Amino acid sequence: MPKNFEKMNYYEMLDIGPGAAAFEIRHAYNAARQIYTCGSLVSYSFFSEEERQRILSLIEEAYETLINEQTRKQYHEELVRRGELGAGADEAVQKKPVGVFDLKRGPGQTMIMPGRDVLKEKVARSETIGTILQKEDICGADLRRIRQELGVELEHIAQMSKIRVDYLKHIEEDAIGSVLAPVFLKGFLKSYLNCLCLEPVEEISARYLEALARPGGG
Amino acid sequence: MAFVWPIGGGKGGSGKSFLTSSLGRLSAKAGKKTLIIDLDLGAANLHTLVGVPYPEKGFSDFLQKRILLLEDTVIQTSFENLFLISGARDNFDIANLPYAQKMKTLRAIAKLDYDRILLDLGAGTSFNTLDFFLISQNGIFITTPEPTSIENVYRLIRSIYFRLIRYCFTAPEFRVLSEEIEKKFGQGASNRPDTMMNALAALYPDRYEKLQDELASFRFKLVINQMRRYDNVSLGPQISRMVEKHLGLQLEFAGNVTYDDHVHDAICQQTSFVDRYPYTRTALDLKELSRQIVEHAGRQLSLRNI
Repeated sequence: MPKNFEKMNYYEMLDIGPGAAAFEIRHAYNAARQIYTCGSLVSYSFFSEEERQRILSLIEEAYETLINEQTRKQYHEELVRRGELGAGADEAVQKKPVGVFDLKRGPGQTMIMPGRDVLKEKVARSETIGTILQKEDICGADLRRIRQELGVELEHIAQMSKIRVDYLKHIEEDAIGSVLAPVFLKGFLKSYLNCLCLEPVEEISARYLEALARPGGG
Repeated sequence: MAFVWPIGGGKGGSGKSFLTSSLGRLSAKAGKKTLIIDLDLGAANLHTLVGVPYPEKGFSDFLQKRILLLEDTVIQTSFENLFLISGARDNFDIANLPYAQKMKTLRAIAKLDYDRILLDLGAGTSFNTLDFFLISQNGIFITTPEPTSIENVYRLIRSIYFRLIRYCFTAPEFRVLSEEIEKKFGQGASNRPDTMMNALAALYPDRYEKLQDELASFRFKLVINQMRRYDNVSLGPQISRMVEKHLGLQLEFAGNVTYDDHVHDAICQQTSFVDRYPYTRTALDLKELSRQIVEHAGRQLSLRNI
């Protein structure tokens, strides 16, 4: 037999942890109301009318106590005194909702895309890039070397050009021809070169495409 | 040992036989040797759903000793790997199965050698239905999202709960117990699970412990059938949460099955729905459900009092 509903503490009634934030409490309260409210299909015929009223009033009481920070603190202290909760169990109360588009999260934070001026200067000064661009044929591996020399991540290019990372990877592996129609490939390649500030775009992309189209070239 | 899945629902028309035949068909398709048994005694119709309109033998032959082994009453359906024990052509008093016969049947079912066994149970909360339902720890409850059906499924769940309590006592003991409870907690108290359990804890602590373990060992499943477009899709999870909280029975929500008029068509054509309309939403829901049953390899078959 589970614990009697009336003997549960407010957190158990609402199925939340003692560290629940305000929005979680509100959410749990609404969910509980949906189950127990008069006319709800979920609890239809499950309780007698008195039982239902009793449960609803308890849930109301739980919500009103927990949603108010002051009464919640008092209630919390009482639970700790009764030994139902360990002290400090409420530390997570400070939790705040996290936005889905919060760009400060995750590993992307450390990678910073250099500005266009910086890139242009780097391209002009770097010897490795110079020699690669002198070559007659340019293949995917060359492009990757240039990109790495410039310190740009594929994800940056993907973010700027809105081209999927796997397509960009294919470009660098000379494997894009099998995945994509030529007309798209040309456009993607130009965007890629543009992001790296390599010039002249038309000419370099033509050299890449030629090498790719040659039998055994890609 | 076989994996037995009893399917019950309380209310008639909630889709027990349909679910049994569909899950049986899907499980057979997945390569499991599957047996479906029609235990809706007195109102059998499972054979019609699996394309055997006139079964030549059935469950009643076993009861009347025309066939001695339950195994020999099995008939092959028109589908590979799918077998049936039919309830058709029975006597008119079969619905009231005597205790000894029931026990004999339960024992025989436990001995059958199939990968999966699905039991199609009757509506209502007769002892037969309850006992067949409790043959396994993995009973499946089915209900539609309508108050009538919900009411009946709660009734069935409570009846099963009481049946489990009842198993712990002999008949005279139980009578004494209910009288004591009525005296102590007032009229009707022996009809409520919480007072009943409280009284048990006070009067028979050892049996109370045993019963607790027993209750915790069940893994019931809940299926919501005939889900229409505007029905509340979270009804199932909410029900399972509430039952777990207030009765302490584990009732896992297994999935919704979408309502589809094609089900009616398939039954009228006497064809298997999942074969006739395999890409409807409903068929996909059923496939999802059947995966849980086909792939399941947990504990099974409790058969304690048999």
